[in-house]
Amino acid sequence: MSATSYIERYQSIANELPGYNLPWLNAVRQLASGSFEATGFPSPREEEWKYTNVTALEKKLFAPSSISTPSTIDKEWLETHVLADTWTLVMVDGYFDSKLSDLVGLTDKVIATGIAEALQSHPDRVKALLGTTLEKESHGFLAFNTAYFSDGAFIEIPANVKLQKPLQILHISTRNEALANTRSLVGLGRNAEAKLIETFIGLPNISYLTAAVTEIHLAENAVLDHYKLQVETDKAYHFGGVYVKQDKTSHFYQHNLSFGGLLARNEIHAELATAAECEMNGLFLAKNRQHVDNHTLIHHVEPHGISRETYRGVLADRARGVFQGRIVVHPQAQKTSAEMNNRNLLLSEDAEIDAKPQLEILADDVKCSHGVAVGQLAAESIFYLVSRGVDRETAKNMLTFAFANEMVEKIGLDSLRNKVQDHLLNIFPQTGIRRDWL
Amino acid sequence: MSATAQTIEKLISQEYKQGFVTDLETDTIPPGLSEDVIRIISAKKDEPDWMLQWRLEAYRHWLTMTDPRWAYVDYARIDYQSISYYSAPKQKEGPKSLDEVDPKVLETYNKLGIPIYEQEFLAGVAVDAVFDSVSVATTFKDKLKEAGVIFCSMSEAIREHPELVKQYLGSVVPTGDNFFAALNAAVFSDGSFVFIPKGVRCPMELSTYFRINAANTGQFERTLIIAEEGSHVSYLEGCTAPMRDENQLHAAVVELVALDNAQIKYSTVQNWYPGDEEGKGGIYNFVTKRGECRGVNSKISWTQVETGSAITWKYPSCVLKGDNSIGEFYSVALTNHRQQADTGTKMIHIGKNTRSTIISKGISAGKAQNSYRGLVKVLKSAENARNHTQCDSLLIGDRCGAHTFPYIEVKQPSAVVEHEATTSKISEDQLFFCQQRGLSAEDAVSMIVNGFCKEVFKELPMEFAVEAQALLGISLEGSVG
Repeated sequence: MSATSYIERYQSIANELPGYNLPWLNAVRQLASGSFEATGFPSPREEEWKYTNVTALEKKLFAPSSISTPSTIDKEWLETHVLADTWTLVMVDGYFDSKLSDLVGLTDKVIATGIAEALQSHPDRVKALLGTTLEKESHGFLAFNTAYFSDGAFIEIPANVKLQKPLQILHISTRNEALANTRSLVGLGRNAEAKLIETFIGLPNISYLTAAVTEIHLAENAVLDHYKLQVETDKAYHFGGVYVKQDKTSHFYQHNLSFGGLLARNEIHAELATAAECEMNGLFLAKNRQHVDNHTLIHHVEPHGISRETYRGVLADRARGVFQGRIVVHPQAQKTSAEMNNRNLLLSEDAEIDAKPQLEILADDVKCSHGVAVGQLAAESIFYLVSRGVDRETAKNMLTFAFANEMVEKIGLDSLRNKVQDHLLNIFPQTGIRRDWL
Repeated sequence: MSATAQTIEKLISQEYKQGFVTDLETDTIPPGLSEDVIRIISAKKDEPDWMLQWRLEAYRHWLTMTDPRWAYVDYARIDYQSISYYSAPKQKEGPKSLDEVDPKVLETYNKLGIPIYEQEFLAGVAVDAVFDSVSVATTFKDKLKEAGVIFCSMSEAIREHPELVKQYLGSVVPTGDNFFAALNAAVFSDGSFVFIPKGVRCPMELSTYFRINAANTGQFERTLIIAEEGSHVSYLEGCTAPMRDENQLHAAVVELVALDNAQIKYSTVQNWYPGDEEGKGGIYNFVTKRGECRGVNSKISWTQVETGSAITWKYPSCVLKGDNSIGEFYSVALTNHRQQADTGTKMIHIGKNTRSTIISKGISAGKAQNSYRGLVKVLKSAENARNHTQCDSLLIGDRCGAHTFPYIEVKQPSAVVEHEATTSKISEDQLFFCQQRGLSAEDAVSMIVNGFCKEVFKELPMEFAVEAQALLGISLEGSVG
C-alpha cells in the first residue's frame, strides 16, 4: 500500500506539524494516522466512493510543502482572486500567511487566524472544536487530514456578534507536485451571523493536491452563509470537505461552486438539531477530462428540521460528473421537511453523469422528496433562438449559461456572483450579452 | 386519531391465512450441500450429464463467493449446510394426469384457491403448481400445445426440449451472476419453462403457483420464458408457505428472453410467510429476476406485489438491448411488523430509442424497513433513451423506515432520465376529508392506500387483480389501519 509513502514523508516532518508538542493533539493524530495506514485513500469499492477513483494520488505521491521555504506570490495575480470588501485569511500551500491576509478592522471579539497560531494562543478553544463534526464520518481522506494537517483557518465568532463584512479564506497552491493539507475550524456562538467564502486556486499549469477539511459548528440561532468556490488548475486534485453541526434553530446556507480541478471531490455534510435549517446549492461544471464528485449528506437527528438541496451539473467533452446526495431522517426527527433536487445537462457524446440521490427515513411524520433529471438542451429552445437569427453555437451557450445562472443567482454576495458569472461567460461565450443585464 | 391507531392495531394483528401445513409423505434429502448432493438432485431428476456439469460449475463458482451484505436488511448468517436442498411429495411415478397427484397436494391447492382442476376454471389460466421442490401439475397442456406453446416444468423441459434449454438457460442470468443465483444454478429443483413460438399470441394467461411445505428445506426454482419473434405472453406467479418459527430460504432465478417484437408480461403476487410479529420465522426471499429485450421493439414488463417474506431481496431487471425496446417495472412492496424489503429494479439501456418506466410504491408499517434500490444505466449506444422513475413511500407508524437508493448512470447526452421520489405518511387532511364524509377510519385508510397503489394494480392482469386485492385486504389494509 503506497499510503505508507505518504506516512513516511509526514513522519520526517512531524515536528513541523502544528501542535506537535500538545499531547492531546498528538494522540488524535496518532489514532488518525493508524487508521489511514490501515485503509489508505478511499477506494471505489467503498459505496460512497463508487464513482470516484483516487488511486492516481498514490501513484503521484505529492509532497507536503514545508513552512521553512515560503513562496513568493505575485500580488497582482492574488488581487484578482480576493473579493472586494472582505476580510481575508490566506493559506499558501497549506500554511496560513499573515502578511498576505487582511483582517484590518475586525473586532477583537472575533478570533480569526491560522490554526497553528490558535494552537499556541487558544489551545483549549481548538481542542473544543476539533473533530466534533466528524463523529459520524470516516474515510481515508479524513484520517489523512486529521493526522497530517499542516495549518488551516481558525475562526471563532462569539455569541451575538454579527460580522459587518464577509470573511474570505483563500487557499492558494503555488508548487508543482506539492500537497496542501489544511484543517479549518469555524465556530459561531448563539445568534452570531457571518458570511464565509472559501476559495481554492493554484498558480497556472501546476499539478498539486489540495486536501481541505472545514469543520463548522453553529450554536443556537446562528446564521452562516458559506460559499465554496473551487477553481483549482486543470491538473489539480482536490478533496474538500465541509462538515457542519447545527444546533437548534441555526441556519446554514451553503453554495458549492465547483469548476476546476482534474479530479475534484466536494463533500458537504450537515447534522441538524431541532428546527435547524440547511440549504445546499451546488453548481458543477466540468469539461475535457475533468471528474467532479459532489457528495452531500444531511442528518436530521431532531424534529422540525428543514433542508433544501439543489444541485445542477453541466458536463462537456469527456468530463464525468457525480452527484451523491443522501438525506437521513433519524427516528426522533418528526416533522422534518427535506427536499433534494439534482438536474444535469450532458453536452457531449463522451460526457457522463452518475447520480445517486438517497433517502433514508426512519420517522413517519415527515415530508421528503427528491428528484433527479438528466437531459440535454431542448431542441425547441435552440430552434426558437436560431429562428431569431442567433447562431446555433451561441444559442446553445446562451441556454447553458441560463441553466447554470439560475444557481448563480442564488448567491447573495454581489462581488462573488459577478465573479462567477464572468467565469461562466468565459466558458460559454456569447456575443451580444450585456453584462449589466445580469 | 385513536380510531386509526386502533384500526392499525387490529389490522396489524391479522394473521397469515396461508400458514397451514400439509401433512404428507415426502422424499427429502438430508440437510447439507456438497457436490454429492448436487449429483443426487440431478440424478433424481434424471438429468443429462451436461446439466449436471452446468450445476457443478455453478457450485464451484458459488464456493468462491460471499453473500451480499450491501442491502438495507439485517439477518443472521445463513448456515447453508443446515438446509435440505430437495424435497418432493412422494409418488411412485411422475403423475400422468391430475388423478395421480396426491389428493393431499390437490387439497392444499384448493385450500389456497388455486384452480388446478381445469374444469373448475372459467377465466382460463394455465397453472403450473410447484410444491416444495417439484412441479406437481401443469394444466391446459393440450390446449397450449395446439397453439405451439410449450408450458411445462423445468425438469420436463430439460428432458423434452434440451436444445432450447441449452440455448437459453443461464443466458440472461449467468451461473456466477451473484451469490444466490449461483446457489440456485447449482441446486435448483424445478420451476416453469415457457416457450412461445414465432408469431403466437399465447391463448391464455400462464401461471405458476409456488408452495413451500416441508420444514427445513430451501426452495430453489428456476423459471425460463422465451418469447420468439412477434409473440406475446402474460405470466403470473404466486407464492405461499406455512407458518414456522425458523426461517426458510427461497432463492429463485427467473430469466426472460424477448426476441424481435415480442412481449412478455410477468406478474408476481408474492405472499410467502412473513414471520410473526416479533420477526420470528418467515421466508428469506432472495430472488434474481432479469429479462432481456434482445430483439427490436420488444417489451418486458414486470409487475410485482410484494407483501410476504421476512426479507425480500429482489431486483427484477430489464436489459434493453434491442432498438426501440421497452422495459417496465411496477411494484408495490408492503412491509409490516419486522419485515424487511430491499427491492427495486435495474434498467440497462443499450439499444437506441429504448424506453423504461419505473413505478415503485413502498408501504412500511410496524417496525419494518422498506427500501427501493434501483439502477438506471444508459450506455453510450442508447441514443434517445428515455426513463421515468417514480418511487413513493408511505410510512405508517413511527418505528418503521422507508429508504430510497436510486443509482443513475448516463453516458449518452440525448438520453432523458427523470427520477422522482417522495416519502410521507397518510395526511391527516385526507383522512379527515374521508371520515368527515362518513367513511370509517379503516375504510378511509384503505381507500387512500388503494389510491396510492392504483398505478401499479392497474397493471396486473384481471385474473390476478382479484388475488392482489384480497391480499390488500389481508396485508395492506391490515398494516395501514
